[in-house]
Amino acid sequence: MFLQTLVTGLGIGSIYALMAMGYCLVFSILNFSNFAHGAMIMIGAYVGYLFCSIIGIPFFLSIIITAVITGILSVINERLAYRSLRERNAPSLYLIITAMGISIMLENLVYSTIGSNFYAYPRVFSKNYLEIFSSTIGLIDIYSFFVSIICIILLHLFLNNSKIGMAIRAGVADPIATSLMGANFNVLIRNVFFLSGIFAGISGVFMGLRYMVYPQMGWITNKAYIAAVIGGLGSLPGAIIGGFILGIIETIVSVYISSVVRDVFSFSMLILILLLKPLGLFGIKYEEKM
Amino acid sequence: MYKKSIITILFLMLFCSFALAQGDIIKIGANVSLTGPSSMWGISELNALRMAADKINEEGGVLGKKIEIVEYDNRANPPEAVIVNQRLIDRDNVAAIIGVAQSGTFIAARTVAEDGKTPQIGTTPTNPFATIREDGTPFKYAFRVCFIDPFQGKIAANFAFNELGAKNASIVYDVGSDYSSWLADYFIDNFTALGGKIINKEAFRSGELDFRAILGKIKASSVNIDILYIPTMQKEAGLIAKQARELGIKAPFMGGDGVGSPDLMTIGGDATEGFYFTNLADLADPMLSEWLEEYRARYGTDPVLPNPVMAVDALLLVVDAIKRAGTTDGEALAKAIEDTRNIKVLTTDNFSIDPATHNPFDKPAVINVVKDGKFEYVMSYSGES
Repeated sequence: MFLQTLVTGLGIGSIYALMAMGYCLVFSILNFSNFAHGAMIMIGAYVGYLFCSIIGIPFFLSIIITAVITGILSVINERLAYRSLRERNAPSLYLIITAMGISIMLENLVYSTIGSNFYAYPRVFSKNYLEIFSSTIGLIDIYSFFVSIICIILLHLFLNNSKIGMAIRAGVADPIATSLMGANFNVLIRNVFFLSGIFAGISGVFMGLRYMVYPQMGWITNKAYIAAVIGGLGSLPGAIIGGFILGIIETIVSVYISSVVRDVFSFSMLILILLLKPLGLFGIKYEEKM
Repeated sequence: MYKKSIITILFLMLFCSFALAQGDIIKIGANVSLTGPSSMWGISELNALRMAADKINEEGGVLGKKIEIVEYDNRANPPEAVIVNQRLIDRDNVAAIIGVAQSGTFIAARTVAEDGKTPQIGTTPTNPFATIREDGTPFKYAFRVCFIDPFQGKIAANFAFNELGAKNASIVYDVGSDYSSWLADYFIDNFTALGGKIINKEAFRSGELDFRAILGKIKASSVNIDILYIPTMQKEAGLIAKQARELGIKAPFMGGDGVGSPDLMTIGGDATEGFYFTNLADLADPMLSEWLEEYRARYGTDPVLPNPVMAVDALLLVVDAIKRAGTTDGEALAKAIEDTRNIKVLTTDNFSIDPATHNPFDKPAVINVVKDGKFEYVMSYSGES
């Protein structure tokens, strides 16, 4: 029973972790929470459904195409909605409110064009689950778990070893100094939004596969946002560990106490962690995020 | 002068014909939704009422008079339904009103019928408080011909225990929904009264997507369950079915009419095969076959269930009550409707009204099952095997 709970918790946690990374990337450089990320995940789920189910491209290829498309959409989103605010040095509160507006706009755009119907991905795996030590593990969970881990490692390598990655890290450490050193800050931010869009696409496809596709699915990212805050907004390892912690605690509370009080626990935990560690578990110092 | 007299004559003629018509016509009001999102059911409802009225008139009418259906559109909107009721009672002097279909709209309109002393028979308002007050006493003039939400829980428990032979059941329900909570409680009461055991009763909050934590708990429990009762809407039911099968839960599923949408199969896929649910009516019900043919012949299309069959039941109930009361006086008619015992209506041969609640008494529900990705009719079931 406990092993099953743990496995389920890891499965749910890996989805939170993947979603939390998108929040984290943008927060680390622009210092605001991009609430449009949830809507981008929802769009990712629809785009993935289009390729995987309607056009009929193999699943893993669909993920890659979707990730590129949401990456581009995320860059367009930044260019149209955030850049002018940024250039006029608007407080980050304005960016947050704009992001919420975009999220609601995208959701309603989907309602008005595609409609409120539910869609389900075709079956990707011939067998749905594996039995290990008398506990059942969904194959989607295993995939989403490893895809999360691989994405995280790739992102880490990218940030540490590439020129663009180095520029991003420099921008995170000190945006003004980086601009003064000749790095084009707008290009840098474009790259960050592209990366976060990629993660939105990947998590959207996994969300759609795991559950279903519908206009309001972006709201589940509230949980991912909590995971990012628990881990420390802006800290990548923090977002991942926060996601797993939240997934496991939610599952344990659901199983051993009651699923009705689950959200009471996860939100109380958020408040408690913020009281004890206002920067989250891994949000060490402002200068040393990432 | 010439013109004036013609108009006067016309008015006189109109008045006379009106007075004459009043003499040998019984008006029955239809408070239906003919436009707006619920119109597909409302239009079917009105079609069915007209067809039934014509049939009654061909067979000689009621008390030697002809039945006339007077309909107004309520757009499934409570304020509109109130106005429609006022108009039917004050201007058209109807003997009784058939409709409204929606619980909230029915509840709003009911007050007018109560004040106007005109019996009103709801077609599909399933909320328990559509016909009774908070303290449990019935409104004198409010009736309905559909079962109420909790009754589905009873039907499901009896079907699972008697027909599927289930002894151990678990329940997953939506604690944020009245509908779901009622169904869960009534299922438990009836299932345990029959001698069945409830192994797990797990709640979730509306909007949930991941049920694996609670399903894992159900799977890990020491007793193997024979049925998983899921009284939710189609979205949750589809996801629960899918995730339960992924976790290796093999028990059949059962739900209420809330799952009866093709979305169930879209979301749940193969996992929903063999998913049973209780429903108000089904086109494949043998009781309806003759009526269905007539409807198709007359309107060239299939009726949209369940409203039209419920409306016909309501009309037959009113007609029977008028015959027994011998009058269309509201008070006497309401009493006669309340005293209805074992009459033949469209959906069943022994329809009764429960005087304590003004609901139909043990009116059979339809059991549907998902087979090859489609809904299939299993049987009509009133709780006894």
